[in-house]
Amino acid sequence: MNGAFARALALLLAGDPLLTSILRVTLIMTFCSSMTALLLGAPYGVLLASARFPGRKALILINRTLTGLPPVVCGLFCYLQFSGTGPLRGLHLLFTVAGMVIAQVLLITPIIAGSMETAITHIVEPMRESARGMGLSRGRTFLLTLNESKYALFSSYLLGFGRAMAEVGAVSMVGGAIAYKTNVMTTAIMMYTNMGNFSYALALGMLLLLISLIVNILAHVLQRSVGV
Amino acid sequence: MIELFDVQKRYGARVALDIPALTIEAGERLAVIGPNGSGKSTLLRLLAGMIGADEGVVRSSAFVRGEIGYLPQKPYAFDMSVQKNVELALAGEPNRAKRAQEALERVGLLHLAKARANRLSGGETQRMALARVLAKPRKLLLLDEPTACVDIAAIEQIERAILDYVAQTGCTLVFSSHAPSQAMLLSTRVLALDGGRIGELGDTAQVLHDPQEESTRAFLKNWKL
Repeated sequence: MNGAFARALALLLAGDPLLTSILRVTLIMTFCSSMTALLLGAPYGVLLASARFPGRKALILINRTLTGLPPVVCGLFCYLQFSGTGPLRGLHLLFTVAGMVIAQVLLITPIIAGSMETAITHIVEPMRESARGMGLSRGRTFLLTLNESKYALFSSYLLGFGRAMAEVGAVSMVGGAIAYKTNVMTTAIMMYTNMGNFSYALALGMLLLLISLIVNILAHVLQRSVGV
Repeated sequence: MIELFDVQKRYGARVALDIPALTIEAGERLAVIGPNGSGKSTLLRLLAGMIGADEGVVRSSAFVRGEIGYLPQKPYAFDMSVQKNVELALAGEPNRAKRAQEALERVGLLHLAKARANRLSGGETQRMALARVLAKPRKLLLLDEPTACVDIAAIEQIERAILDYVAQTGCTLVFSSHAPSQAMLLSTRVLALDGGRIGELGDTAQVLHDPQEESTRAFLKNWKL
């Protein structure tokens, strides 16, 4: 364990092509899926917290249920859609990074939406009354709500990012963990553990933690710079 | 003019407001008094259009966005400067900065114009929220306990600001209050609510000095005018 981090750094500095590929695919997949999930989940979460419409409570319940969706079930669902007999076979998404991103977006969007909804639901009513009390329109009130949700937005994104990076079930089913193509940190850790190459698996695990630390530091700096 | 006919508002099984008929004339100043849970805030939220009635009709000639100014009991401070908060109410209008500063001066908060609004105390937040409402002319002003968290020294200034605003705009004023002296100063009529129903409605001096209903007498018995 002691030498795992040093080994990971040594592999990175040496430009190990396999490790570099795993790192690159992991970052691309995680960034794309977490950002897409944020773009879809954040407004949806704000809408669930702030708008009043028939069926809202049912949608909240469905969203909360989906936050507990097992990744392998999501992976299986996507696999069946993308495989040779599935309705989306023509898109050739199976065993591609794009397919992995789609599976992760399905998993993470409800988590981000639920996190946003929970975080801002208690401020929505006083905010709405104050905004409407000044005579502001619904649209302007919604924009103000988004602006007031900055902190929740950061924390929800980090939650989604962490989930995307640590996820293994769905990406291994949809991506297939193909070396130099769809193998990411988590699937590689599983693979090397099964092969008995524990030091390489540990080195990857350490790198995964390091990436998470760097992203959290960057988010913290960004958060401070925008005054949240 | 505002008219309420057979209005009922329920929260679950509890009837929060039950008003068979109420008319508020244009330009009138009406104080709404009553103990906690008597329906004061529900009435004001209903008049502001924040909630709808479960039964009955609320009619108002001021039901146009921007013509009603409503100060909720727990106003929200948006995450920006105090002045920007007030400027929100003046979106799309000329001289926003100057008018926002004038509104802040009226409530004695100009010295905090550049301060972050969500760092203000409860009383300061209430004064800022009042400045947001008073920043532009409106037909109907609805204030839910406008001085509830405000210190004694600032209450007089706020009451004067409200009176000046009403005199300048000629708007209709409906406010809730726990202070009889405030009702006496700001209103021409008093509506005493009791368990969501009209306990007493009449001339301010008459209701406060000589209440006819037992519920109003019970509510006023510890008040010193």
